[in-house]
Amino acid sequence: MEAISSFTPTVLVAIKIALWLFLILYILFAGIVIKQVRVMTETLQVGLEKSIRTLAVIHFIVSVFVFILSLIIL
Amino acid sequence: MPDVFNSHKQVESVEQNSSKKQIEVKKPEKKFKTPEDMDRHELPGHNHNPFAAYCYYPDHVNFVNADPEEKVVLLLRRHPITNLSWISIAFLMVIAPSFFVLIAPFSLLPPGFQVVLTILWYLIVTAFILEEFLSWFFHVNIVTDERIIEVDFINLIYREVTDANIDQIQDVTVVVGGAPRTFFRYGNVVIQTASEIPKIEFEAIPNPDAVARVLRELRIEEEQEKLEGRVR
Repeated sequence: MEAISSFTPTVLVAIKIALWLFLILYILFAGIVIKQVRVMTETLQVGLEKSIRTLAVIHFIVSVFVFILSLIIL
Repeated sequence: MPDVFNSHKQVESVEQNSSKKQIEVKKPEKKFKTPEDMDRHELPGHNHNPFAAYCYYPDHVNFVNADPEEKVVLLLRRHPITNLSWISIAFLMVIAPSFFVLIAPFSLLPPGFQVVLTILWYLIVTAFILEEFLSWFFHVNIVTDERIIEVDFINLIYREVTDANIDQIQDVTVVVGGAPRTFFRYGNVVIQTASEIPKIEFEAIPNPDAVARVLRELRIEEEQEKLEGRVR
């Protein structure tokens, strides 16, 4: 019962902002992953470069999509 | 029959044959076949799997600062079994949201928050898997006919490429210790060099004995090239 009373609208807004901030940081991280993959594939080529780059881009797109989704849902 | 009864030609041919045999005996015996000896695709240890941890004379491998004439002899990664620890953690992380409902604060959140938090959790899992996979896939050890190279990505933005010439290798030590390493035949190959970086370590690579032997043969080959004045 204490837990229910702790989730006041103010607390929910705080959680919401924290989630959005985290997602923004995650998008930045996903952007760094794209850059990292580019550096890695330039350093070593074994024939899977396209697939790995595509994977990193998909990861970035999904993180942006989740952020947009959180804006709609929350 | 004494040589007096043989013709000069016969004696010469016999002498030539014996000298040929001597030359053949002098040649060091190769334990590892090279593309000069047979077709590259039939070489033991050669494969086309881009995820292979041990590939002898790989087909399409290129790396930063590679010389155009340099041939890649070995491409090595950590043994796939070393990924088991992070795969197990990832598996636990994947199934963890099933138990989130048991945690009081999570179950008391509005449904929208629960959905976003769960998706967020899976994003974290994806990031974890991606990072672990990338660090395994791109942390490679390359042996070429001229040098040994270690490519290491310590974190997101830190890259370390170490190399030493084959003729600078002073000592090669194979370290295989512990039950999993003995069972799955993987271990470390510690290479002492005369270059600025005194030690290069190939960590948890498959067939460390075979790698040490290849390195030994390359060193012998390099010494022969030096003696014959064929150094690039």
